[in-house]
Amino acid sequence: MKRFFSFCLALVLVLSLAGCSGGGKGSGTSQGVQDTQADKGLEVMGDNVTYDPNHLVNDGEPITIDWWVWATEDMFRSIAEAYQEIHPNVTINVINNPWDGFFTKLPLALQREEEGPTLFNVHNSYEHLLLNYMEPYDIDTDELISDYPSASTHLMDGNVYYMDYGLSTGMFYYNKDLWAEAGLTDDDIPKTWDEFIDVAQKLTKFDEDGNMVQAGYNYNNYFNSTVIGLNYQFGDNLFSADGKTSLVSGDGMKEATSFLIDLYEKYHVGDKDFGTNYDQSFYQGQSAMVFAWGFFVGNLATNAPDINYGTFEIPTQDGETPYAYYRYNGESTPGINKNATDAQKEVAQDFIRFFLASDDVQIKLSQDGGLIPAKSALMDAPELKDTPIVKTVGPHIDRYIWPGAMPSTVENNMKIAGEDILYNGKDTDDALKTAADTIDIDLANADFTSSESLYAYYKE
Amino acid sequence: MFKRRPLQSKSEIWMRNIAMGFLIIYMTIFLIIPVIIVIAGSFHQWNPLNQTYNWIGLDNYIRMFSYPTFWQSMGNTVIFCVVVVFFRVLLGLAIAYALNSKLMKHKTLFRTIFYMPTVTPLVAVAYVWKIMYNPQFGLIDNIFGLDINWLFDSKFALPALMVMTIWKDFGYAVILFLSGLLSLPSDCYESASIDGANAWQTFRYITLPLLKPTMLFVVVTSIISYLQAYVPVLVMTTGGPGTSTYLSSYLVYDQAFKQYNFGFASAISLFILVLTAIFTVISFKVTGANES
Repeated sequence: MKRFFSFCLALVLVLSLAGCSGGGKGSGTSQGVQDTQADKGLEVMGDNVTYDPNHLVNDGEPITIDWWVWATEDMFRSIAEAYQEIHPNVTINVINNPWDGFFTKLPLALQREEEGPTLFNVHNSYEHLLLNYMEPYDIDTDELISDYPSASTHLMDGNVYYMDYGLSTGMFYYNKDLWAEAGLTDDDIPKTWDEFIDVAQKLTKFDEDGNMVQAGYNYNNYFNSTVIGLNYQFGDNLFSADGKTSLVSGDGMKEATSFLIDLYEKYHVGDKDFGTNYDQSFYQGQSAMVFAWGFFVGNLATNAPDINYGTFEIPTQDGETPYAYYRYNGESTPGINKNATDAQKEVAQDFIRFFLASDDVQIKLSQDGGLIPAKSALMDAPELKDTPIVKTVGPHIDRYIWPGAMPSTVENNMKIAGEDILYNGKDTDDALKTAADTIDIDLANADFTSSESLYAYYKE
Repeated sequence: MFKRRPLQSKSEIWMRNIAMGFLIIYMTIFLIIPVIIVIAGSFHQWNPLNQTYNWIGLDNYIRMFSYPTFWQSMGNTVIFCVVVVFFRVLLGLAIAYALNSKLMKHKTLFRTIFYMPTVTPLVAVAYVWKIMYNPQFGLIDNIFGLDINWLFDSKFALPALMVMTIWKDFGYAVILFLSGLLSLPSDCYESASIDGANAWQTFRYITLPLLKPTMLFVVVTSIISYLQAYVPVLVMTTGGPGTSTYLSSYLVYDQAFKQYNFGFASAISLFILVLTAIFTVISFKVTGANES
């Protein structure tokens, strides 16, 4: 009897271990059906990059691929479903992995070659970790650049491995109800920083003991993302002329940093201790204005649908067109695993062509993601003309700089510098110098070169 | 000293060989090989995620000793260890002594209550404390009528982590001290009672010396575990504000998994490994000395 129980126990152990080890083969099984109809009578999509749906992929045989994303899973799933409707033999598993750890897990998964995801979302600050595993797009680069001009900045050895499908940048979000409560109207939307301070002070409230109960402007836990790019308005680029070292300890960044600190400490339009997160404070109606990137539109829709908000462009020193308003960054198209099987790669290449050629897909991505479309034909699309970012930033987007696929060390170390200045009382020059030293070591290791010199007004 | 008994049968020898074989394989895979990889990696600019592996000699060590955040994290780790271990021992001993008292009722209930934080997952505890420390809606400021931004004020952030860790971990010390107290010989107490020793004298001159091995065990194992502490920092402060709550193990995590400087992280890890090894040797020596 004892032996029998021992055998059963061992069997359970072996089976459970076998169960654990089976996770990596998710894409081996398929739920798709055989597709025999090549000509589906569908229209060809696209202008220069075109997609003809009237063909079979993988010879119509069922096939499954995995697509790793870190956010807005439903949006990407709806795009996968649109593709699956055309090609019912294909199943695309959209797998959500949280942002924290995504770029540690993804390269490790890609090292498992064909067991890794066939498609995966890319953030350009982690390009240096992913390029080794990526297959170039099988699309003529001239066609790509004709439709997506920013693709030219992603050319590597004549190939495009990923590119931008949308552009995002920062803008101010304001609570319209608090705005009206303070007696402000649309005419008060600030064009200069002085006007901004004036408005922010009107929106700031204190109780009888002098404690802040409403912040005019809140950047808590967002200092780094705000200040990186503000330097352009204060006379400096972010990187040196050769694009290899940072200028975060330069005069421009020092002035930008001091300006943000002054907003709290001199003008008292916010407070470092008034809530730990700018976004939560805005959701709760405790802060009247915050600065955030396009993604915040989606966050507001999900987390604070009742907040009645508007947006305005980042002010400037004198209200005139500056050298650059701010920086922008691209939201990247998915990468293709170069070690996937040929059949998987064929599907992935076909899907990417569909992804780029379909206007419906691109419009959805821009609407849901709070983006300016990177596809030139959609710049004036009626569906997008009233989105907050297009309305607010669109007219001046040529005056925003793309600093390049900036490694995450820049944001990480500027976060430390900001907290050192705000919370630890460290001298601004020392904090920025410490950040610059660490950033430069990391940039050298990542072999980074800035793209600032590609900016149309760089010589100004 | 006990006499070694020779193995009796082939099956006993078989069992020994299988057990030892598994142990050797386990230690090789999960300890020896990783340590060798870390030692080699510390001499390289190393990022396994994009397969960078370039020999740079002692550069990582030179950078480590000249890196201000490294020394700050070591300083924080020393403060963290000293304060947390002190209160862990103090609270553990005091509560164990109280639970061991004949006057105490519902001992099992209290033992369970005090041990509960120890068995609660650390990540969950850290998240709850993070909410409790929130300056706007956190329990602590509201109950005590304070206006402190605990986790964003460099004066309070590290102490806030320490308080959470003490609360989480003192229960383990309670159990260890309680088992130590229960195993103390009763004849010493009877003699003390006959000699007219009061409660404090009994505790000071009998209980405390006899509990010395348990106390040393608690202290040394606590130091070893706190040298490796990084989860509370990761969840509650991510090292901030600035780098004011960086502990040495969090610096390793930060360098490896956020900055992707695995070579530099390996150099720091080796330094911590040496420190841990020193404390382990001390613990073995102390335990051995007490046993003999």
